[in-house]
Amino acid sequence: MFESCRAHSAVPGRRTASRAESTGVAEIPDSIVLRRHRDLQGRHKDVWVRRGLLTLVAVVPILGLFNVFGQRPGKPTVATSAARLQLYAPSRARGGLLYEARFRITARQDIKKAILVLDPGWVEGQQMNTVEPSPLGQASRDGQLEFTLGHIPQGQSFLLFTQFQVNPTNVAWRRPANVELFDGTKHLLTLKHHLTIYP
Amino acid sequence: MDIALRSAVIFVFIYVLMRIVGRRELSSLEPFDLILLVVLGDSVQQAVTQDDYSVTGAVIVVATIALLQVSVSYLNFKVPRLRPILDGEPIVIVQDGKVIEGNARRERLTLDDIAEAARLQQIASLQDVQWAVLETSGELSFIEKQKN
Repeated sequence: MFESCRAHSAVPGRRTASRAESTGVAEIPDSIVLRRHRDLQGRHKDVWVRRGLLTLVAVVPILGLFNVFGQRPGKPTVATSAARLQLYAPSRARGGLLYEARFRITARQDIKKAILVLDPGWVEGQQMNTVEPSPLGQASRDGQLEFTLGHIPQGQSFLLFTQFQVNPTNVAWRRPANVELFDGTKHLLTLKHHLTIYP
Repeated sequence: MDIALRSAVIFVFIYVLMRIVGRRELSSLEPFDLILLVVLGDSVQQAVTQDDYSVTGAVIVVATIALLQVSVSYLNFKVPRLRPILDGEPIVIVQDGKVIEGNARRERLTLDDIAEAARLQQIASLQDVQWAVLETSGELSFIEKQKN
């Protein structure tokens, strides 16, 4: 005998069916157990499990709306007596996304040879598609990316645009992506930044 | 390796999602549902294969999904205790011509939905229905009263 049939004949609901059968009403369909499938005994919590899981699913887009998964840009800023650096870039992104990072350097004093130094985290697992305007020079500074921007007169700003695309396989949690500004060899400021890349 | 992991994650997510959205949504495939299905498929494909255009990638994805599907099916077959979780259970919606309101409400089925499903099976009135059962597939099956 099939297990479902054993269960079927063992439940109190079956008594109802027996009466029904004796009065000529259609039998209970095979494998239907009235106690479980009609009266839902032992299944009352199922609906709450379903609702709970559905709530969890609903949480994901809500978190997305609140920029938990990126890529809304932030505007972290650092200022010293020599210069002010504002970064306009997201700190959270997802695999495959294109985004822009904009660096605005405002010289509070004359900067003769502005050099922007980026942590390797800026290009780790992502492509730097464009740097505009083109820097006067690019080099490596102990593993960091160095962009020589040249002279920025006092009171003026230099705006550097960079376009990135995250590699689809890139996953990162608060990867350091700091930015430093130098005047030649003189360190002017450091802007702390990090990147989180969701799969 | 990540492409196999992505396939597995998406498989599990869709499986869980299909189990929790309720059978009401699974039972009908109206024009809007069809479009939604295509949109869903496209979104999922992007997440799984991303920029991988290779045949190898496609083989990995298809093999992973097929393997997981067979595994779920095998578990369903071998472990009866898992069946209600993996496959769900039928629910009696109509008995002896009367709609069991609590059960219908639980599955978000209106009287009109049930009557429509009955009509599709050439049953004019729910009074003629002895049993209507919402199956795990999302379809309503009807057993008519014996005429004599």
